[in-house]
Amino acid sequence: MDVDSDSDISIFDDDNENSRNKTKGKGKTTDKRKKDKGKRKPKDQAYTWEANYTRSWETVQEDEAGSLQGAVEDWIARGRRKRHAHCFQSKNSAPSTAIRRTIIRHLVLIIDLSSSMMDRDMRPTRFGLTLQYAREFILEWFDQNPLGQMGVVGMRAGVGERVAEMSGNPQDVLKALSDRHKLEPTGDPSLQNAIEMARNSMNHLPTHSAREILIIFGSLTTCDPGNIHDTLAECIKNRIQISVVALAAEMKICRELCDKTGGQFGVALNEGHYKDLLFELVPPPAQRTVSRATGPGAPNPAADLMMMGFPTRLPDSSPPSLCVCHSDLRSDGFLCPRCLSKVCDVPTDCDVCGLMIVSSPHLARSYHHLFPVKPYVAITTFDNQSSQPDQQACHACARPFPTTVAQSTAEGMSPIGRYRCPECQQDFCSDCDVYIQNHLHCCPGCGK
Amino acid sequence: MMDTLCVVIDLSVKHWQRSATASDQPLSLPAFLIQLVAFLNAYSAGSSDNALAVFAAFPGKSLMLYSSTDTQPQSTTVSGPNSYPPFQLLDDAVVSSIIHHLESLSDSEQEAPCPLVGALTKALCFINRLTLDHNTNTSNAEGLDPIALPDPRVLILSVSPDITSSYIPIMNSIFSAQKLKVTIDACQLSGPDSVFLQQAAHLTGGSYLYLERRDALLQHLTMTFLPSPSVRGAIAVPTQDKVDFRAACFCHKNIVDIGFVCSVCLSIFCQPVPVCSTCRTKFPMKTLQRLNASRPPAQPRPAPIGTNGVSKANGSSYGTPA
Repeated sequence: MDVDSDSDISIFDDDNENSRNKTKGKGKTTDKRKKDKGKRKPKDQAYTWEANYTRSWETVQEDEAGSLQGAVEDWIARGRRKRHAHCFQSKNSAPSTAIRRTIIRHLVLIIDLSSSMMDRDMRPTRFGLTLQYAREFILEWFDQNPLGQMGVVGMRAGVGERVAEMSGNPQDVLKALSDRHKLEPTGDPSLQNAIEMARNSMNHLPTHSAREILIIFGSLTTCDPGNIHDTLAECIKNRIQISVVALAAEMKICRELCDKTGGQFGVALNEGHYKDLLFELVPPPAQRTVSRATGPGAPNPAADLMMMGFPTRLPDSSPPSLCVCHSDLRSDGFLCPRCLSKVCDVPTDCDVCGLMIVSSPHLARSYHHLFPVKPYVAITTFDNQSSQPDQQACHACARPFPTTVAQSTAEGMSPIGRYRCPECQQDFCSDCDVYIQNHLHCCPGCGK
Repeated sequence: MMDTLCVVIDLSVKHWQRSATASDQPLSLPAFLIQLVAFLNAYSAGSSDNALAVFAAFPGKSLMLYSSTDTQPQSTTVSGPNSYPPFQLLDDAVVSSIIHHLESLSDSEQEAPCPLVGALTKALCFINRLTLDHNTNTSNAEGLDPIALPDPRVLILSVSPDITSSYIPIMNSIFSAQKLKVTIDACQLSGPDSVFLQQAAHLTGGSYLYLERRDALLQHLTMTFLPSPSVRGAIAVPTQDKVDFRAACFCHKNIVDIGFVCSVCLSIFCQPVPVCSTCRTKFPMKTLQRLNASRPPAQPRPAPIGTNGVSKANGSSYGTPA
């Protein structure tokens, strides 16, 4: 019980430095709970395995009436604030134009498979947890970046090991990670070998695509054959962005890799924070307007015209034929418009002529990053508009608004439960606000 | 088995007028409403657990007409001796509010396009709300992924053609419907085929139906859209073999099969352009030269798209059964 009382104090400590412990605005209560668990970790208690069993349910504060409304609202409010912060950030960087984001991404995920991954400070082991999060990350990443491609490299026994080839199909990548016995951690990791391998696999890519490396690093040492700073210089030259999620502690070289290439660096405090750090890298990064010192003769390499093919889909009832990607006999598939070879799945690069084949929904799936919904404004007092007869229920889901003012609300929340679209001046309830901003990306009032 | 259905009705005055005066098989709005109400009654009669909501897209605005989960304020209407009160309530709510709103439209408002997307997003928000309610009621205390409602679906009854400007909102709605595991069914009652609705139905696993026999509307509705998606495996509902996933270029609105895409805003062009017309990005000269050089040389200059279309037609006849 002593530990519990300590942890109450540390909650406030943690909130102050919330830049570290950002919430993900996801509609899952798991995140919330896990974060709470982490926040309970007192300062004097360094490692998870030294902690007592954490009673996560005791941190949730009930209000006088015994409901959890307050705790839930606080969590929603944090998501809202974060979204607003994002919006202002992008406004400052590009005042007049729409947000530019890198849509075509190429990512190599480097996973530490050294013996330090067998530590049990994260449960069940760092390795087990990493595999689980990596799978979730891959699914979410491909969902948000349908035109992206991903490869996986492992760091084991002093060498880099190609686990999955660069592929646009999440199932291929997941399949490579499915057999954990092939990935059993041993030996020391080598950052340089792994980065070199990742860099080589991205060398041929065109300049307009973003090249990124994400390293999940559990060790505190690296065992390199040469000077890693040379590798770093090469990465800067090739505009490869390196991000590191460290599981143990901050290493100077890791920090430097991220800072010099413009990536993000984070040390995971606990399981929930680990997931947050990883999932922060899912949305496409806002594009750096003027690329950093890359030498003259590179006129905005970020923008380019790409040739893409829109394939013909063969129906299930068409006569079966061999596909060029797996040499399987199957009926359905897509025909490359340039060479008429048959591929199983889009988006992909045609195996025969190298044309990028996409279908129009894949392009459309990225549009919401480019044309986001304006954040709704929380209404704090009853005004003229909110008393009109057609504004008595949420404009989207028709749930009636509360008529009383809530006693205590977190910052950024509306005490009367109304959120107004700045465009069409319609009011929405908080559930719809979260849903529209996070998932729907389209305002029901103005249809934009 | 609980089932959730949201019906979205397109009430574009202009296009209903056109449908009512069509030379072959006219279908007027009153005739449509009679059949629709019969369908809605049949659905609510299926099970008392069935949740039903009706959304309407009027010119310039969209709203919810009826929902079985909210209590209706005006239940004072005198029902006839032979009517079943719940049906009476539903019929009155739907028909009278449609008449009320259509009559209150001014002449200028009647011309405004119908924001089908507004009604569709409202339906999705409503399903999202039901999902949340469902989760709190069943005390999903483990905080796992929200349990989806069993078989929520949206049925869109449309008469107007696609509005190009609503492409992005419609696609966004489709993707969030996929995430909510909502099936979107669509029925185009008149006019040309709707490409957007075809895609919506295809991507969410629903069925798209172009109504060819308008006098058989009710039969089509009950045979195709009344059974819930879980039952559909056992019956033969119309499937679509030829959903067109090709894109139209932003410059000439031509359907292209090899396009040039701006890497910043994903605008599609049918030929290499020096400056993106959407986001004003300038493209490097080198790429233009390279792309111009790599274009298929066989195309005669004056009509590159036409030949493309022809080769496409040949290409698709290849695998598509007649």
